[in-house]
Amino acid sequence: MPGIVEVEDLVKEFRAFERREGLLGALADLFSRQYRTVRAVDRISFEIRPGEMVGYIGPNGAGKSTTIKMLTGILVASGGTIRANGYIPWKERTKYASTIGVVFGQRTQLWWDIAVVESFQLLRKIYNVSESDYKTRMKRFDEILELGRYLHTPVRKLSLGERMRCDVAAALLHSPPLVFLDEPTIGLDIVAKEHIRQFLKDVNHHSGTTILLTTHDLSDIEELCPRLMIIDHGRLLFDGGLKELKRLFWRDSALKVDLKDREEADRLGALELDGVEKQRLDDMSYRLRFPRDQWTAAGVIRRVVNAAEVRDIVIEEQSIEEVVKRIYLGEMFQESRP
Amino acid sequence: MRRHVSLLAQYFIQYSKVRLAYRGDFIISVVTTIGATLFGIAVVWLIFKGAPRVAGWTFYEIVFLYGFSLLPMSVFNMLSINLYYFSEIYIVEGKFDRVLLRPVNSLFQILFEQFRLEALGDTVLGLFLIVTCARRIGLELGAGDWLFIAAATVCGCLIYLAIFLLLTCISFWMEDRVGVIPPVYNMLTFGRYPMDIYNPFIKFLLSWVVPFGFATYYPTAAVLKQDEFRIYAWLMPVVTVVFGALSLFVWKRGVRNYSSTGS
Repeated sequence: MPGIVEVEDLVKEFRAFERREGLLGALADLFSRQYRTVRAVDRISFEIRPGEMVGYIGPNGAGKSTTIKMLTGILVASGGTIRANGYIPWKERTKYASTIGVVFGQRTQLWWDIAVVESFQLLRKIYNVSESDYKTRMKRFDEILELGRYLHTPVRKLSLGERMRCDVAAALLHSPPLVFLDEPTIGLDIVAKEHIRQFLKDVNHHSGTTILLTTHDLSDIEELCPRLMIIDHGRLLFDGGLKELKRLFWRDSALKVDLKDREEADRLGALELDGVEKQRLDDMSYRLRFPRDQWTAAGVIRRVVNAAEVRDIVIEEQSIEEVVKRIYLGEMFQESRP
Repeated sequence: MRRHVSLLAQYFIQYSKVRLAYRGDFIISVVTTIGATLFGIAVVWLIFKGAPRVAGWTFYEIVFLYGFSLLPMSVFNMLSINLYYFSEIYIVEGKFDRVLLRPVNSLFQILFEQFRLEALGDTVLGLFLIVTCARRIGLELGAGDWLFIAAATVCGCLIYLAIFLLLTCISFWMEDRVGVIPPVYNMLTFGRYPMDIYNPFIKFLLSWVVPFGFATYYPTAAVLKQDEFRIYAWLMPVVTVVFGALSLFVWKRGVRNYSSTGS
């Protein structure tokens, strides 16, 4: 099956104008300008298959939004190709636009001053959605997103969570096979987040909609996306499943050990454990961090139990956040570039 | 095409709803627009009343020209509001993203997402001045004349749109808020007076560089002075098409160059 999105060697460069400081600097800028070329997206390639849900993550300024903007046809790539839904997004923009749905969490797509339902009606006409399709879809949207209560409120009076639900519904009104969401859960409370996630799951499940979303909230990924891509400095660092990510990057594990008393704790402190990093948490407990290629949890536990009297041991699961944070910090992708 | 016509109606209805949501604002804006127009007429009256003839034009001919100039101007004003603020609203705030995400021609959206309906007050006023002055001059306006006036209104409006679209496009390449639109907007009023009062350079400018003369002066002269200006009447659609095509071309290039905002 061919990809619904095919991206090859995608590059985007911006020519940034460097402003000089102060009033004199501003004057100087009038006459001669200094430009600097910034490569926001640097030779990215990937493919998304129909029905996939893919998370696209990376620190601020990594190039996520720029990628999304090229994928949605807003920006023209400086190099490389995109083929999505059979179109080159920026070349056949209007045709392509009717086959995708887009949500920008930071900015609403709805008309600010009029009631939500009026925006929906206008979108219905823009996207040529029949009255009966519109009704069925609105009913389904309402079941999960609970839009009914504020359908007649102007967008500017909605809370962020309410607005986002409307924005997501608006993007899916024409039932596009391909949907891009740029930080759809940003700034939302837990309930609103849950609504949005539930909705996306439902759409993906029932309509087979392909979804690409960016987020800073990794629980979005854990709940929604079997596959994630990590980008930083414009380059794709990782493309694979969550499990694979952990397997590749989860280098060491940790045990939290509670001991019987202070003396026992000191005894553990004195124990020779090659390669294990010991961190004293308080009088009677330690955290032991060990590299997984050298130790197994069982091996460490055996040594500890033999050496000191232990009351409790907890194996600390390394969170996906921890893994990703360390990738962002540049600690762990030297040899594991996929 | 049919879809765009029906969409235009939708956009218009949408706009009306927004305007009605702010009733007070709408009423004030209608009143001030009418006030500004009446003031404009008063100025013409004061300036030209004393002089019986200006550059070979009688008082009523000048007011006729003034009335004529209001027609393309008012239609342009009704449609151009988003061009005027394009740089600020669409480029700097990044609202153009939303435009590009919709399966509708981008320029269509910019022009028709907002109107300034109160500008149509000037259309009525312009027609009134044309009819009144024609009677005073002793000019019989037949169906053919009215057809020509309608065509001139369309061409004039398109010329204005083309010029301001070209200026608007600058903001695709220069991020700074460009201050070139207001002064050129003020130049629109140059077309309200007989062009022979200007020095040759400005006359050339208004004819061939920023062809506002083709929106107002030349068609009026063609109606009032007939033969002498017939050639300009024929040039009017040519100028319209040339500048219209040029502006569309530059707009397309501009959209490709659009760089959006940071997030």
